[in-house]
Amino acid sequence: MVAELLVLAGALLTCLAGIGVVRFDDVFARLHALSKATTLGFLLVLLGAAIALSDPNDITSLVLAAALQLLTSPVGTGLLGRAAYRAEGYRPRVDTVDQLADADLD
Amino acid sequence: MIGASLVLLAAAAMCFLYRLVRGPTLVDRMIAVDGLLVAGASAIVVDAIRTGSGAFLPVVVVVTLVGFVSTAVVARFIEGRGA
Repeated sequence: MVAELLVLAGALLTCLAGIGVVRFDDVFARLHALSKATTLGFLLVLLGAAIALSDPNDITSLVLAAALQLLTSPVGTGLLGRAAYRAEGYRPRVDTVDQLADADLD
Repeated sequence: MIGASLVLLAAAAMCFLYRLVRGPTLVDRMIAVDGLLVAGASAIVVDAIRTGSGAFLPVVVVVTLVGFVSTAVVARFIEGRGA
């Protein structure tokens, strides 16, 4: 029961990420919606599966997938965000701070 | 409850697919591909719970790794191309 609830919460978070990716009007906002909600949702699904399954082989795969997702998702998001900043340009709004404006990009 | 989770994941995949088709920039399409990979991997995990056998769970690890490598490669490509 607990496992199924965790999986349902994770799927709900992934669905919310999808809605955010469709509805938000900016590349960076979409990236934000994808990275946070997807990481937590995927981790919740993996946690639920680790509770539901009992074979140590399966648990090892789940833990490995969770560690990889937790390590690679912020790095990939940062790379995509920097690529979007440099390639698409950035039109700042009034209430935002552009910290990359005078950064030393290689 | 497992069925509801699969339905939610399918809805998320449809949202990402819409952004993949429509997305004005290449970064938008890459965001959509990332989300599709995560939705697919989550669906594999949910199916492992449904059937009770984790035979496909190593696929989830591989999908996670390949997703990151593809994101990094495309991001470098977009930066180098300058558009």
